[in-house]
Amino acid sequence: MNRTFLALVTKEIIAFFRSWGLVAVVLYSFTLDIYIAGKGIEIQAKNVSVGYVDRTAGALSGKILARLHAPEFKTPVRFPSRKALYNAIRNRKIMVGLIFDTDFSREFYRGGPARIDLLLDAITASQSFQALNYLQNIVLDFSRTQVHVKLKIHKLFNQNARTSWFMSLAELLSITTLLGVILTAAVFVREKENGTWDIMLLMPIDPRITILAKSLSQVLILMGGIFLATGLILFGTFDLPINGSLAAFFLLSFFYAFTSAGIGLFVAAVSRSMLQVAQMAILIMMPMIFLSGAWTPIHAMHPLLQKLSLLSPLRYYIEGSESIFFRGTPWGDLWPYFAGVILLGGMLYYYGFRKIGKLF
Amino acid sequence: MSPAALRVEKVTVRYGNTVAIEEASLEADRGEIIGLIGADGAGKSSLLHAIAGVGRFQGEILFEGHAYHSPKEAEPLKPHIGLMPQGIGLVLYRNLTVGEHLDFFADIRNLKRNEAFLSYRERLLEMAGLAPFTDRPAGKLSGGMMQKLSLICTLLHRPKLLILDEPTTGVDPLSRLELWEILDNIRREEGTVALISTAYMQEAARMDRIHLFDSGRIIARGTAEALLAGVRNYSYEPVPCPSERCIQTGHYTYALDPIDAPKKEPTLEALFFVHALQEGRRIPPIEVSPRESDEAIPSLVMEARGLTKRFGSFVADDHIDMRLQSGEILGLLGANGAGKTTFIKMLLGLYPIDGGELTLLGRPIRSAEDRRHLKSRIGYVSQHFALYKDMTVRENLLYFAQMHRLPLTRALPRIQRLAEELGFAPYMEALPSELPLGINQRFSLAAAILHEPVVLFLDEPTSGVDAIARSQFWQLLQRLKEVWGIAILITTHYMSEAEYCDRVVLLKQGRKIADDTPQHLMARYPEAKSFEEAFLQLYKEKVI
Repeated sequence: MNRTFLALVTKEIIAFFRSWGLVAVVLYSFTLDIYIAGKGIEIQAKNVSVGYVDRTAGALSGKILARLHAPEFKTPVRFPSRKALYNAIRNRKIMVGLIFDTDFSREFYRGGPARIDLLLDAITASQSFQALNYLQNIVLDFSRTQVHVKLKIHKLFNQNARTSWFMSLAELLSITTLLGVILTAAVFVREKENGTWDIMLLMPIDPRITILAKSLSQVLILMGGIFLATGLILFGTFDLPINGSLAAFFLLSFFYAFTSAGIGLFVAAVSRSMLQVAQMAILIMMPMIFLSGAWTPIHAMHPLLQKLSLLSPLRYYIEGSESIFFRGTPWGDLWPYFAGVILLGGMLYYYGFRKIGKLF
Repeated sequence: MSPAALRVEKVTVRYGNTVAIEEASLEADRGEIIGLIGADGAGKSSLLHAIAGVGRFQGEILFEGHAYHSPKEAEPLKPHIGLMPQGIGLVLYRNLTVGEHLDFFADIRNLKRNEAFLSYRERLLEMAGLAPFTDRPAGKLSGGMMQKLSLICTLLHRPKLLILDEPTTGVDPLSRLELWEILDNIRREEGTVALISTAYMQEAARMDRIHLFDSGRIIARGTAEALLAGVRNYSYEPVPCPSERCIQTGHYTYALDPIDAPKKEPTLEALFFVHALQEGRRIPPIEVSPRESDEAIPSLVMEARGLTKRFGSFVADDHIDMRLQSGEILGLLGANGAGKTTFIKMLLGLYPIDGGELTLLGRPIRSAEDRRHLKSRIGYVSQHFALYKDMTVRENLLYFAQMHRLPLTRALPRIQRLAEELGFAPYMEALPSELPLGINQRFSLAAAILHEPVVLFLDEPTSGVDAIARSQFWQLLQRLKEVWGIAILITTHYMSEAEYCDRVVLLKQGRKIADDTPQHLMARYPEAKSFEEAFLQLYKEKVI
C-alpha cells in the first residue's frame, strides 16, 4: 500500500514537471502575479495630474499650488478657461482640476468663506478620493480654525501603511485557492481527456488511495509554490514583517491547500474537459474570494454578506495569515483560524472526495 | 491524347520538422477513381489536404490547366472541389435534419434552386437511400447513413474534383458498398476526378489506379492487377523462412529469393512486405517467453447471458450472449456504433450493466466488490493506446508494475524482457507520443500484460496501424495465446482480420448476428471470396 501510494504521488509530480505549460502557470502565479498585485494595485494617490484655472492675481493660489508636489501630484498645468480644463479632464489628461475665481483671494483676506471649485475625475474612485483628502488637508492649513486639536497618529502593524504588504499577501492566498482547485481538478480531468481514465479505474487499487494520493501530490506542489512566493516575493521583494511563527503560517497553508483540493475534486467530478474546469473554477472561486475579505474588509460588507463570509474558508485563512504576519499572534490564539480552515476545509474535502469517488 | 485533368508534381508537406509527405506525384483523368492506401501517418491526409487547397505545401498542383502552389492560389478552384474530411459525420450538424443539411450546403455554395438542382438533389437522396429520412436529424442516423449524407452534401455542387479522406473507415459493410456505388455512378455521369484514401486493402478493387503509401512516400502505383503481378513471384504458403530477405506472416511467407514452397496468390498487403524486404529492413519473428506465474486458468473465462446496455432510449447492446474460453482468440467484429466498445466496457465494469448476467473467471458479477480482486487478473488495451503521455515508456511500465504490486526485483527484468521480445527496447526513454504507431501498440500491450493476466481485452488495437505492424501484432497475440494459454477478446472493424481469430462474433446495431469459427462462416457462403464478402452476405440477411 505504501509503495503504490508513493508511486501514485511520484507519477503526478513527474507529470506536472513534464507539462511545461502548467509549470509556467504555477511559477508565474506564485511570483510575478503576486509581485504585480503588490506593486500595481495602488490605492494611495500617486502621480495625480492636476490642472488649474487662475483668475486671481496669483499670490495665494500660487502658495496652494506649490504644495501639490511629487510623489502624490504631478506639476499643475495651467488652463486658460474652465471649458479647456473640463475638456482636459474629459480626455483623461487631467484627473483633478482647481478653479480659483477672481474673488477668491479677496474673499479670503476679508475672512469670509473663500471658494475653490474642484473638478474631480471620480472614475478611479479610491485614487481620486485620496487626492481629495490631500487637497482638503492642504486647504485646512490655510484656514484659520478655532479648534486646537492635533492628531497624533500611531499606525499599528503596518507602520508605513504600505498597500503592497496587504495586497501581496492577499494575492498569495487567493492564488493558492485558485491553483489548488485547478491543479487538483486537472489531475483527474487530464486522465479523462487523454483516455487513461478507464485504465486508472482498472488498476487493482482502492479508489480512496488513488484519490488521496492524487490530491496530496497537488497539495505538495502548492506548498512548493507557497514556499517560493513567501521567500522570493513576500520577504525578498516586499520586505513583509513576520511577527508570528512562520511554521504556523505553513501549517495553516497546508490545511488550506487540502480545502482547495477538495473543491478541485468536486470540479473534477462534474467536468469533462480542462475548459470546463477553468469555467467551474472561476464560477466557484469568485464568490469565495469576494466573501473572504481579500478585496474588501469584511466589516464594510452588507450584514448578510458578512454572515455568508463566515462560510468561506478563505476568510479564516486570510485573517489567520494576517494575524501571523502583522499582528504576531501567538500559536495559542490562532485556534479560531485553524478551526475555521480545518472544519470548513474538512467538510469541503470530504464532499469532493465522495463526489469523485462515485465515478470510480 | 489530352493532358491529365489533375497533375500533382513533387508535393511535400511539412509540419515543423516532420515531413508528412515527401515529393509525391500523381496524375488523374476525368472519371477516374484514384486510390490512396496506407496506414495512419503515412501521409495520405496531408497530400489530400494539399490537393484540396486547404493546407500549405511545396511543389505544384495542376487542375484543368490551372496551376497552384498554395491554398491562396487554389481559391478560384474551390467551387469545383469537394472535400470530405476524415471522421464519421464530421461535416454534419447533429440537430439539423437530412433535408436541412442539403439546403444548408446548397446555400453556402450559393446554388440556384432550379429544376436541374432539385432533380439532382432527389437523385442523390435516392442513391444514398436517404429519401425516406429527410426529416430525421443527423444525430439520429447510423454511422453508415451519416457518411452517405456527408458524401451527398459534398456532391451537391457537382464538384469536378472530389476528395474523400477515408470515407469508409469504421462504416458497416453494406453502407460501404453503397458508398462505392454512389461514387461509381457519379464519376461516370459527371466525369468527376475522385481521390479516395482508405484503410481497407479490399477496396482497391474499386479503384482505377492505386497508390500505396508508407511513412511519407508513395512506394508503389498502378492498377491492382499490375501491382499484384509484381509481387506474385515472392508470395508463398506460410512456411518458416529458410534465409534472410524473407518474412513469415500468419498466412504468407514472402521471400525475395526463390524458396521451396508452394506459391500463394497474394493480396495488396504483400506489397508492403516485399517493399520492406527490398529496402533491406529486417523484421524479426516474435517470440514470447512462458509466463512466470503458475496460476491455473479456468477453462471458461467469461460468460455473458443477455447482456444489455441502454443509453436513454438507444439500445447499444441488445441481449448479447457470449462465451470466452481459455486458449482462444475471440474476435468481436462490427462497424463503428455496432456496440463493440460498449460491450467490452460492460465486461470491464466501466459501464454499469442494464440487463443480463455476467460471469467472469468463475465469479458471478453483481457489484463493484465482485470485480475488485479480479482486476489483477485482467489486462486491457484501450482504444488509441491511451497511456500516460508525460512519462517515458520505462516510467509508464514501472508505474504499472507498482500499481500491480510487482516487487522491483521481478518487475525490472520482466520489463526488460518484454521490451526486447516485443521490440520496443530502443524506445524505453522516449515519450509515448514520439513512438511510431506500431511501436506504441506493442508498448501498450506490454503495459497490459505486465502483471500476467489470464484474460486480455483489446479494443481496436489494430486500427490505423500499418500492414506489417498489424501482422506482427496478430502473431504476437497468437504466441501469447499459445505460450501463455490465456483468453483474448479483441474488437476490430477490419472484417478481413477474422482470419486471425479462432472464433468471431459479428455485431450489427447492438445485436449479435453471427457467432462461429471463421471456417464455418466461410463454408456457409461458398461463393464468397473473402471474409469481407461473407460478412456482407450475413449483413444483408440479418435485417434488424
